[in-house]
Amino acid sequence: MQLSPGATAPRSLSRDLKRKATGNINPFAFSRRGRVAPWIGIAPGLLLFIIFALVPAIGIAFLSFTNISGIPNVPWQWTGLENYVRFFGSGSSAANLAVVFRTLVFGFSVTVILNIFALLSAILLKNNIWGATVFRAIIFMPVVLGVTVVGLIWSLFFNPTGGPAASLWAMFDSSSAFLGDPRLAFSLIIFVQIWMSLGYSMMIYHAGLMVIPSDLYEAATVDGATAFQRFRHVTVPMIAPATTVNVLISIVGSLQTYQIIFVLTGNRPTTSVLAMQIFSVGFGGASEQGYASAISMIQFVLISFITLVALRYLRKKETQL
Amino acid sequence: MTTVVEPRTERPKKGPVNGAPIKARRYRPSGWRAVNYLLALGLVSLYLFPLLFPCNRALKEPAEFVKNPSGITQGVALHNFLDAWQAGGFGALLLNSVVYAFVCATLGTFLSLLIAFPVARGYVRWSRTIGVLFVLALFLPNVLVTQFQLILQLGLYNSRLGYMLLLTSGLGVGPLLIISYLRSLPKELDEAAAMDGCGYFRFIWTFVVPLCKPVLTTVFILQTIAIWNDIIGATIYLSSPALKTISQGLFAFQGQNGNNQWALLSAATLIVAAPLIIVYLVFQRFFISGAVDGAIK
Repeated sequence: MQLSPGATAPRSLSRDLKRKATGNINPFAFSRRGRVAPWIGIAPGLLLFIIFALVPAIGIAFLSFTNISGIPNVPWQWTGLENYVRFFGSGSSAANLAVVFRTLVFGFSVTVILNIFALLSAILLKNNIWGATVFRAIIFMPVVLGVTVVGLIWSLFFNPTGGPAASLWAMFDSSSAFLGDPRLAFSLIIFVQIWMSLGYSMMIYHAGLMVIPSDLYEAATVDGATAFQRFRHVTVPMIAPATTVNVLISIVGSLQTYQIIFVLTGNRPTTSVLAMQIFSVGFGGASEQGYASAISMIQFVLISFITLVALRYLRKKETQL
Repeated sequence: MTTVVEPRTERPKKGPVNGAPIKARRYRPSGWRAVNYLLALGLVSLYLFPLLFPCNRALKEPAEFVKNPSGITQGVALHNFLDAWQAGGFGALLLNSVVYAFVCATLGTFLSLLIAFPVARGYVRWSRTIGVLFVLALFLPNVLVTQFQLILQLGLYNSRLGYMLLLTSGLGVGPLLIISYLRSLPKELDEAAAMDGCGYFRFIWTFVVPLCKPVLTTVFILQTIAIWNDIIGATIYLSSPALKTISQGLFAFQGQNGNNQWALLSAATLIVAAPLIIVYLVFQRFFISGAVDGAIK
């Protein structure tokens, strides 16, 4: 997770912009300077964004049909669909499909487990517990430390010789290579990703919980609802908007991330995901950036598809509840 | 400005009303409370332990480490920090990272504000389009390759300028957070200021910036964290040792010392984490609410 944790709910933003954009007169526009000033302000940021983010995003689609390499001054040609054929085609298709599958497993397990735990911890650490603010701040800490420090803390923790996890295993007369164990490494990465992101998701749920009017709970209690019924019929429906934001952030974030994998295990066939492949194909030994662009496009299509399906589902649920 | 003072209704806070004893507002068996505390403590220790464990380890003397790697430290071996600092060459790396993070996060925050203000207010044409553009940016494909080709074509490979341009352009959620925050700012303020002859940029600088302090702090911290931890970008774009960042240094340090010098490695991890922790503690009050409110609204 490069800490760009966070996103704004697209719907509310567009609604907001719609409302704001109609019939707003710039009060500073009484002079010519006042009329152009907003654009002068916008220009540098927007230009940087267009040049270094938007144009490259579109360029990826073009480069995916070439055999361009990362080595300067090497001629390149259009190769049509060759990169895509190579990804899905005979030779390496099994390994590539395994990578796609692992990406989906990563995204799915992180999203589901993270959201369940985040909601439960937000409920647990509501303000009615002594020290809740401090507890929440501690759980938020990994978000602040970022991926490199978190990665190192856990690779020290899981060090097979002398790390605390090894000592714990030794108590049960067991031992493990942890991140060095191909069967275990990927699960540990999923765990660390969830551990790292919990604080942010929890805070979003917490903010959602805070705006639920307490009368609702009181009314439910008076009507004889049990704690679970209150959770199911008051908390869950009322928290739906926060759930939508959280789930979308987790889906997009977990399907795009690879920094934590890079720090914990490096590029290994047993822990690689699509994003990791883009980096290692594009900037590893042969630096095949055309092929890496094709993988970027495959990842993009996958993420867009899953996000749209999830968004539709969550919106439907939100209105039903 | 007039404030309407609501008449206080007479309502005794405590004690019996009309002779009837007040019941506890919500009955909660104390057993459940204990379970809640236990769960909360369990959850927090799941965070506290891994976070404190490098601190413990960084303070151990090498001799003690060999005997008892996991126990609580006996001495306070502060020289580990000095040793790690020198062995990893963290001085120069720290300086680089501070420059990258400070310059790019500051610029990025202000550029975000300059975009967000007119867009939130609808003072420019295509306000909506610009806003939607930044939402879409969160879903765009991985641009690692094309950004690299672009920097290569511009002749900015392995230069501070190229790397910093890329970092600054990664505005991410910055404009979106500020747009949603600006809704709480009354528009009448703009009109009054304009009426009094205040210029556009002066208005932003003297009114909007102070009023948006919480969200600006949040955007600044989010960008600082992202830049501080940008290990991939630094690996791709910076090849000469003089330009490298502190996260890269830490990662390389792990490569060299990961198998034996754990005390040093823990100390190095703390050195890298310290600036972020300080920034977090100083701005914590603003930060969490700013980072989360924008996502909800």
